[in-house]
Amino acid sequence: MDFSPPEYTKEQEEFAKEVNAWLDENIPEGMTFPRDPLKVSREQFEKRRELARRLGKKGWLYPSYPREYGGGGLDAAHSAVIMREVTKRGIGLPPFHNAGAAYGVPVTLAFGTEEQKKRLLPLILRDGAVTWELFTEPEAGSDEANQQTTALRHTRDKDYFIVNGNKIFVGGIYPPPDLFLLLTRSDLEAPRHENLAMFLAPANLPGVEIVPLDLFVPGPFGGVSGQSTTGADGIKYQVFFKDVRIHESYLIGGERDGWKVANAALEVEHAVRPGRGEPMAFMGTMSRNLIAQRFLERCKNDPNIVKRLKENPQLVDSVVNVYIGAEKERLYSIRNAGGKGGVYGGTHLQLYSKMFALTLLHEITKVLGPYALTSDDQWGLDDSLFEVGQRGALCLAPMGTPEITKIVIARLLAIGR
Amino acid sequence: MAIDLNFSESEEMLRRGALDFLRRDAPQEVIQVLQGTDTGYTEELWRKAVGMGWLGIIIPEQYGGTGNPLTSAGVLFEALGTGPLPGPYFSSGILGSLLILEAGSEKQKKGILPDVAEGKKILTLAFTEPEYSWEPRGIQLRAEKSNDIFVLNGIKLFVMDAQAATHLIVAARTGKGTDPAKGITLFLVDRKSEGVSVRRLPGLLADSTFEVKLDSVKVPRSAVLGDIDEGWPALKQSIDKSIPVLCAYKVGGCQALFDMTLQYSRTRIQFGMPIGRFQRVQDMIIEMIDHLDAARWATYEALWKLDTRRPAAESIHLAKTISSEAYWEVCNLALRVFSGVGYSVKHPASFHLRASRRLYNYLGEPSFHRLKLGQLLTA
Repeated sequence: MDFSPPEYTKEQEEFAKEVNAWLDENIPEGMTFPRDPLKVSREQFEKRRELARRLGKKGWLYPSYPREYGGGGLDAAHSAVIMREVTKRGIGLPPFHNAGAAYGVPVTLAFGTEEQKKRLLPLILRDGAVTWELFTEPEAGSDEANQQTTALRHTRDKDYFIVNGNKIFVGGIYPPPDLFLLLTRSDLEAPRHENLAMFLAPANLPGVEIVPLDLFVPGPFGGVSGQSTTGADGIKYQVFFKDVRIHESYLIGGERDGWKVANAALEVEHAVRPGRGEPMAFMGTMSRNLIAQRFLERCKNDPNIVKRLKENPQLVDSVVNVYIGAEKERLYSIRNAGGKGGVYGGTHLQLYSKMFALTLLHEITKVLGPYALTSDDQWGLDDSLFEVGQRGALCLAPMGTPEITKIVIARLLAIGR
Repeated sequence: MAIDLNFSESEEMLRRGALDFLRRDAPQEVIQVLQGTDTGYTEELWRKAVGMGWLGIIIPEQYGGTGNPLTSAGVLFEALGTGPLPGPYFSSGILGSLLILEAGSEKQKKGILPDVAEGKKILTLAFTEPEYSWEPRGIQLRAEKSNDIFVLNGIKLFVMDAQAATHLIVAARTGKGTDPAKGITLFLVDRKSEGVSVRRLPGLLADSTFEVKLDSVKVPRSAVLGDIDEGWPALKQSIDKSIPVLCAYKVGGCQALFDMTLQYSRTRIQFGMPIGRFQRVQDMIIEMIDHLDAARWATYEALWKLDTRRPAAESIHLAKTISSEAYWEVCNLALRVFSGVGYSVKHPASFHLRASRRLYNYLGEPSFHRLKLGQLLTA
């Protein structure tokens, strides 16, 4: 056995140099990476988009997707190098600015026509189009199939669907996006699961209204690795559709295939099939838990904290709990990377990471006290990592609540139904 | 003698008065706005609260209050915690008043407490500093004597209600001995004094906590509460007595979260049925009971012991440990049941999230009280 993290081969090392030289040249000047998404200015957001476009042009935004659709056409080894080098700079994994693409691309590859792949995929893979995933609705949270937003064929213009309804807890920083990955109900009579339709459609259509939601969370997993794995940032919107016309050329799969298509997207999201969605394939693998790491360093080096630990030995328990929890997370990652995750590996790690994040920030607050609760420039420790991390950790719903994730695991173990 | 866990008639009136107040004058929309302000109250709300006698609830009648036992204060603060109503009610009406009662001279009590009861003076304690600790060693801010005045220099950090307060009760170091509990003096400092600056700390979870800078703040000898260098015993005594009242506020928070979560689990339909039918949701709601009831009865027993002059040290540490953890966990559980809708800053679960985090460490984090408990249990 060998537990050592994978090292670059000579060839990969050379490639890493090439990647870094390119990044040095192409990361827009003055681009910063604040921890709190709320601190990302519009100007900074535009810089991120510019970098995405440059990466896309180079084929490195989605390096392993097919070249003919705007991807990089690289093998896994080279893709891994790009992702790792980009991540090292604290930018996050591409695409670091939207989630819809992470699912929109694989489902279009799987269910779209050749014409759709050629027309739609380069917008995302090459041009860096921001794509919002529009699945969740007020009455369709955990129960995703319960879609109330309708997309019905226009009675005269039969090439068009008319969309009415609203989506909630969707999107990310700075609207409008370029595209929507939109799940709708296309049939009012047909039975459940046979009544839905999926679109990958332009977002700037008449009748679409985007309203911000005032949430306290900075994004899923923002608390775990210190950087979003899905590109989501916790800034969410409600999107209203009023008689919005969408041409049928944006329908992905058949008119009643929406649930099948959505399920494929959800499988990627739930990490059931890592590898289908490129960004998810890399999720969690080998990445250390940044919050735990910074905290453990502080327990050794921050005189204030060292004094507290000496004064109250109970706090040492919390430190050890953080260490053990983070080590388990790391070992599960290694398990998955080493191909020993079985049917449940990806999903289980996702669940573990979410639940551990809650405990992690609780234990950390015990030791750091109110310092873990402020994002003050002067008093908030580690660039407010802990305050932002805790708000992120509380956000358990994205990608399915823990309760839903357990159902997924049970099904994978063939005890679900 | 038989167990009687009922509120007295006057306590029941207090409770109903406070709940009516929340319904009428401080519903959800108002609490959300108040949480965003630096003071946590409006003049109108403050006047009404004063009118109901809340600010003088434990102040003896001879100093202008109504002289209620701590248990009654607990009943009131449990009701206020259901909001949770922000504002300096606890800081001034309970902890501030106790500090004056425990440390102040007769003249100071007569001079200050009637104004506190009438809401004209608003007090808050400034204890912790950048080297954060609730032990005596945490008090390092220097007060140097110079002729007939003292000059205070330093930073107080994570101070509650500092913007709302008219007066800060600053625990400062005046002596230089080896015993950290000696050489602490309490000063009543007008917040508007030259050299005092107050800044609210950002971060949702910091809620309403402040940095207070004292830059060569001059205070007269008459501002010293109690004896010079001998402030610690009164400070500790006041904090200990006030803790169960603060715990009651958290119990109110837990109860409100439990009630709203239970209600939601009965009405939120997913997969064609109320989510309360799902065992994983049931598990979370049942776990909430565990926290809520432990916090409630530990708190009221501590209050009862204090009011009946029974030894209460263990009970106070127990109540603070349990209720801080309970409020924290009940929030987490509620947010898990509400999921998306609970992430809104407009949702009451998020009001409680803020309060539960802010109050987790206040007057001693659970690990501090566990340490004290450990010392008592093994001494």
